[in-house]
Amino acid sequence: MRMLCVFEKSERVRHIGHLDIMRTVGRALRRTGLPLSYSKGFSPHVLLTFASALSVGAVGRRELMDVTLDEDVTPEAFLAALNAALPPEMQASEARPLPEKHPALMAMVQGAEYELRLMDAEAADAFRAALPGFLAQAEIITPRKTKSGVKDCDIRPLIHRLSMEGDALVATLALTERESCKPDMLLTALSAFAGIDVPRALVIRRRLLGLSEDGTLVPLETL
Amino acid sequence: MDDMNARIERMLEQVQKAPRYTGGEMNAVHKDWDSVRLHYGFCFPDTYEIGMSHLGLKILYGLVNEEADSLCERFFMPWTDMMALMEEEDIPLFSIESRRPMRDFDMIGFTLQYEMSYTNILMMLKLGRVHLLSAERERDEPIVVAGGPCAFNPEPLADFIDAFMIGDGEEVTLEVTRTIADWKASGEPRIECLRHLARIGGVYVPALYDVTYHEDGTVAAVTPNDPAAPERVLRCIVTDLDSAYYPLTMPVPYTEVVFDRIMLEIMRGCTRGCRFCQAGMLYRPVRERSLPRLLEIAQKLEDATGYEEMSLSSLSSGDYSCLPDLIRALLKQFKGRHVSVSLPSLRLDSVLKESLEETQQERKTSLTFAPEAGTQRLRDVINKGVTEGDLMEKVRDAFSGGWSGVKLYFMIGLPTETDADLDGIVDLAQKVSRAYFEVPKGQRAKGLRITVSASSFVPKPVTPFQWEPQDTQEELKRKQRYLRDRLKNVKGVVFNYHTPELSFLEACVSRADRRFGKVLMRAHELGCMLDGWSDIFSFEKWLQAFADCGLDPLWYACRRRGEDEVMPWEHIDSGITRSFLRREYEKSLREETTRDCRKGCNACGLNRLKGVCAIADALRV
Repeated sequence: MRMLCVFEKSERVRHIGHLDIMRTVGRALRRTGLPLSYSKGFSPHVLLTFASALSVGAVGRRELMDVTLDEDVTPEAFLAALNAALPPEMQASEARPLPEKHPALMAMVQGAEYELRLMDAEAADAFRAALPGFLAQAEIITPRKTKSGVKDCDIRPLIHRLSMEGDALVATLALTERESCKPDMLLTALSAFAGIDVPRALVIRRRLLGLSEDGTLVPLETL
Repeated sequence: MDDMNARIERMLEQVQKAPRYTGGEMNAVHKDWDSVRLHYGFCFPDTYEIGMSHLGLKILYGLVNEEADSLCERFFMPWTDMMALMEEEDIPLFSIESRRPMRDFDMIGFTLQYEMSYTNILMMLKLGRVHLLSAERERDEPIVVAGGPCAFNPEPLADFIDAFMIGDGEEVTLEVTRTIADWKASGEPRIECLRHLARIGGVYVPALYDVTYHEDGTVAAVTPNDPAAPERVLRCIVTDLDSAYYPLTMPVPYTEVVFDRIMLEIMRGCTRGCRFCQAGMLYRPVRERSLPRLLEIAQKLEDATGYEEMSLSSLSSGDYSCLPDLIRALLKQFKGRHVSVSLPSLRLDSVLKESLEETQQERKTSLTFAPEAGTQRLRDVINKGVTEGDLMEKVRDAFSGGWSGVKLYFMIGLPTETDADLDGIVDLAQKVSRAYFEVPKGQRAKGLRITVSASSFVPKPVTPFQWEPQDTQEELKRKQRYLRDRLKNVKGVVFNYHTPELSFLEACVSRADRRFGKVLMRAHELGCMLDGWSDIFSFEKWLQAFADCGLDPLWYACRRRGEDEVMPWEHIDSGITRSFLRREYEKSLREETTRDCRKGCNACGLNRLKGVCAIADALRV
């Protein structure tokens, strides 16, 4: 059976890279004693996939993974076993079985909601003032780092929602295999528009989003 | 605290490899600071990746944390980028778990695994804002202790360490933590703590001893200056490993470390008596963990860590009396759980073909052989009881069993070595290469790779070669060139060697006396640290430190000691007697071997002590 699971990557472990997170969850699953499925082949590994890699330095409140099991397990039993095996800094909050034919989570991700917590109140004020004008632009050309170098791209169509909550910038940004707007691109563009240096921000990915039947972005785990 | 945390968070955003400092690993122990009376900071004087690969850390971390009234947190040597930020942000060295500064701990303990980590000890104390010199520490500063194999010559660190724990740490550590906790509550001055510690068996407090020297610079005597200090400090020996503490859980790092697996210590000590090997002397007698106990430990550790790999750890795992049974039982126990079992430090005369085939069941691990010397003559000198016939038989088995990679470890600069012994290394490599090509093409694995490593011999204290000079660097470099030029013509060989500078310094430090502390301090002031990292190591600064202190490194590394010379560490009783070491030394020069002590007691000195060595005890009855 396949189990969808929501877990947190908290502040203390935000510097752990994606590969290390995968290895850590894999080992945690091995500690659970659950009937895990393993890949076939020379060096078998736990069948485990993640909806989306989270960058080094970012916190993830509702990250998603998909675990394959050899036998049926109730979500409650799965959660209890997994949480006992995960470090306190990476606890799971929800689990539900997925139909076998459910598409790969990775292919379903369309966007993500971020909270960019600003450490500097002046920068927050500057952003607050700049926001209406920033969003009124027809296009927002921003440099994007790629493997082949830095290219300019228009992030305006990739910003679905953007507002301030206290001293935090809250943004819903496109995140697909084809195109995405990374939080640092938004920060760079907004800082340039507001005429300030790029401020320090704690990046928190609040949830991953997918497309519902009516075409709206909804939490991926509800699909 | 909150301000410090905020600054640490800011630093972590800027360093490479932040996971070295973040902690919060699975099975890390976070105790309430105020709920205990003793706070122990366990310090590994190297980076996180190296320290977290060390079994001793995990044993002592678990041991102290299982005490209700104590806590143990970890400290590691930060990398240079982190050190620069710590200075900038004015942050002292902090523990991994609670991020408390070193000064807040009651006790700081360093493990001494290799001499070239000593500059890191000074740097960590400095970053922790603890006075470097034992004599300058105030009452509210932590008591600084040290243990591990290098503590058998504590003298180079005598100025910096308040108390050394000599030998096995499982029992004495708790005596020391309790003593320090009691003293802390007593209000007595610091010196009283040192006196209490000196009364514990196996604890050496250097401040309570005076060293006198002859005119030629050699040690005249080391004598106690306080009634609390014994004439000689006998090392701690845990006699029964089954009842000794072993952790059933251990922190699992997020980031990859050097040895990222379960380490199962199957036995301690070695009966072979290789004359160059300090561990082989220091960890006597041989003590095995029983098979049922090992299976229990392995199961609990696998359940607690989820590791995919397990290695058997000891000085000579092939000598474990029921190794095939153990491997078979482990493979059976973990069948279906995908745990691979690897065997490090395989001795080539005890590898069983059968058990080799069993380890393949999960994954084919590389094969390592350590003939150490190239000719039978020299192997007899060092008492490495391995013959060319043994080696070739195992190599042929390996090649026909599907291995294509073999590692061969040698030492150069061994006592009595001549170029004929170097030719022997080349000859052996050639024979191994030929053995591969003798296996028919379809039947052998592709890609022959014979890794020949030649390390430079370092004479160590408490070994039969403690009297021997090290080869000069010029001579070692010549020998390396000699081998390189000849090995390049052997098919499939990769030759590994390192510049001998680090080995030279290791030879200086390992047999140094108390005066060396000044050199270490000077080296620290000149910026020496992380000496094990070739991109940071500065040989020139070390030479300058010696020169500034008026001491000659050659006198320490390359001088033959007189037969009656008092060794700087002779007040530490390792259990092994000087007369045994001397006897072994003289036999080595006559190219005579000494039997494995499982075949009969060789009277190494442990036979003086009742109930310590089963072999010696059997003889006594």
